Amino acid sequence: MQNFKNKLYNYETPPPDDMWSKISGELDDQKVVHLKGFRGRSKFIYYGAAAAAALIIIFVSSIFLNKNSNEFSPEQNSKPSSFFSSATVDSINRNYQMLEKIINTPKDKKLLASNNVVTDGFSKKYITIAGPEGQPVRISAKVATLILSADKEYPPKPVWNETIDKWQQIMLSNTFSPTSSGIMDMLQMAGNNVE
Amino acid sequence: MQSNHIPSETDLIQGCINGDRQMQQFFYQNFSTKMYGVCLRYAGNENDANDILQEGFIKVFKNLEKFRSEGSFEGWVRRIFVNTAIEHYRKKVKLYNVTEVQENTVEDTSLDALDNLATKDILKVVNELSPGYKAVFNMHVIEGYSHKEIADILGITEGTSKSQLARAKGVLKKSLEGYLKTNKNISS
Repeated sequence: MQNFKNKLYNYETPPPDDMWSKISGELDDQKVVHLKGFRGRSKFIYYGAAAAAALIIIFVSSIFLNKNSNEFSPEQNSKPSSFFSSATVDSINRNYQMLEKIINTPKDKKLLASNNVVTDGFSKKYITIAGPEGQPVRISAKVATLILSADKEYPPKPVWNETIDKWQQIMLSNTFSPTSSGIMDMLQMAGNNVE
Repeated sequence: MQSNHIPSETDLIQGCINGDRQMQQFFYQNFSTKMYGVCLRYAGNENDANDILQEGFIKVFKNLEKFRSEGSFEGWVRRIFVNTAIEHYRKKVKLYNVTEVQENTVEDTSLDALDNLATKDILKVVNELSPGYKAVFNMHVIEGYSHKEIADILGITEGTSKSQLARAKGVLKKSLEGYLKTNKNISS
């Protein structure tokens, strides 16, 4: 039996004095790494929760949108069934009644009459008026009512007059048609398109 | 507060698993001198041996849960240190195949002269081997790994392991002769 094998196998010698403090320090670092890992997991959970919340919001929104579009489905289009849609129709009709009283010039009356050809409540939502150069401009009936009613003969609310004067100036200098941007307006339009 | 009570192996292992720093220090005190000896056998210098020792203890503390009490605990710890040393040198280790003829020419008896040397001197001679030869020599001759085990750990074939050992023994024999000559000259 070769003795050197045993000698080498059992060879012992003390390591440097500072070795334990190095190992101990590294073990502490490992704990920090472990914490980082935990934070990483909690961050992942946070993102997962955020994604789940976003999906829930999208799901609920889609249900809400479907419900609204069903309210304006062809089967029910003869009469708006919800309180919201009937209130909107009433409001638009009232606006038209006011416009008829306000508009005096034959040209504007003709335009208003052409707008009235379509008797459907939602079609009255926008009217076409003549721009400063005679070009047709589509505007919201509600805004038109306010603008036209700013006339001194028929002032609805004096506090609005100054603002509406500014709007009139802006409108006279612009030729593009206003577009629907409100979510409820878009829903109404979507309902009309389904019809 | 330092206690004089010596924990059992099971308590020591459990304490280290639980992250008890006192137990870990006790564990270190128990094994550090033996394992430093292992590290010095595989490393080319003290700095590398220190790195291997530090890395090895961290690995042991991390993997203590995996010890299944199916064999010697010290053997399990030693294996981790050997593997750590091998990993440390994996990039440096270059293994060349030698022929069967070369393998058979080196007799085990040629190393008998090592028996007459002090352990530190044996270590000096062994450390003259290149990292590849030293790894195979240490694993097979000193630790008792089979060539198959060496082949698996080093990612080589059994044949390469055998040929590396033969080459290592040849180089070791030459180194030993040179060492003995030098020492004779010094003593005379």
